[in-house]
Amino acid sequence: MTPKKKKILKIGAILLIAGLLIGGGTVLYMFNMPHRNVQNASVDFSLSASQLVNEYLENPVKANEKYLSDDGDSKILEITGTVAKISDDFNGQKVVLLQESSDKAGVSCTYTQETNQSVSSIKIGEKVKIKGVIRSGASFDPDLEMYDNVVVEKSSLIQQFVNF
Amino acid sequence: MKKVSFLVSIVAIVSTLFAFTLPAGKLVSSKTHIKFFSHTSVEDIQANNYTSVSTIDPTTGDVVFSVPMQSFEFEKALMQKHFNGEDFLDTKQFPKAKLKGKITNLAQINLEKDGTYQANVEGELTIKGVTKPIKEKGTVTVKGNKISVQSTFNVTLADYGITFVKGKPASNIAKTVEVTVHAEYQPE
Repeated sequence: MTPKKKKILKIGAILLIAGLLIGGGTVLYMFNMPHRNVQNASVDFSLSASQLVNEYLENPVKANEKYLSDDGDSKILEITGTVAKISDDFNGQKVVLLQESSDKAGVSCTYTQETNQSVSSIKIGEKVKIKGVIRSGASFDPDLEMYDNVVVEKSSLIQQFVNF
Repeated sequence: MKKVSFLVSIVAIVSTLFAFTLPAGKLVSSKTHIKFFSHTSVEDIQANNYTSVSTIDPTTGDVVFSVPMQSFEFEKALMQKHFNGEDFLDTKQFPKAKLKGKITNLAQINLEKDGTYQANVEGELTIKGVTKPIKEKGTVTVKGNKISVQSTFNVTLADYGITFVKGKPASNIAKTVEVTVHAEYQPE
């Protein structure tokens, strides 16, 4: 074997191993990819609970196109609204409903076990700003015979507006 | 004249009393848990959803569940992405699934008396825009003024146009998945 051929073989082998490592690493990463951290991710839209609800009631198709993503990692929103209800879900997570009394539906914000704590400081009637990921929009459901709220999850409290 | 107005006020009082004691409208639940579980020899996969809304009409037995599909959470992020994607549930086009049924043995269930009752539900399930008839059993538990419902049933994915012919999903996802439903109701 000529030294030239040897060199080509050597480079080829190195390239092959590097390729395998990168490929294997990518597959492993993809398979074990962590969930998106909603709390740390940047905000896509900042708006009021009323605005969001009304966008959905006026044109649900357009609103879904704007806010929902194909892979389920939908838009991250910062929503300002009045606390209408505070409850717990079956997973021990707090659920804060933001709704104005003049609106037909509200925005239901589910917290996480890590962010639950911040809910204890807020009260019904207070104005707050909450960040989370949107899961589905508001609509009138003729079978439920009531309005479905916008569903937001992975919520965290961003700001509390003090009433004077 | 006095007698008439006396009678009128009695009627008014009685009807007000009745308005409060008669079963007041629908039962509403926003405290729900829907789980689906897939078992194959390769792996077990499960996903949980805590954001569904349900109603039961105690006079007609109508049961409705509205399920936001993007709220299903998986252990692995990649699985969740696949689940939401166009080939699986296409949740951007079909953000909600719905169960619409009727309790057919309503006469055997007393929502005002503590106890556990079996409920037979017939109706239809809509997933990914495809509606199929269902006939399932559930348990209704009444304890004080808390009413809860539990049910486990199977869903065949191909019935709703969810099919995999090759690759990992075909070998790792069961053809029939088990769905568990739990909801706690309050009067509207």
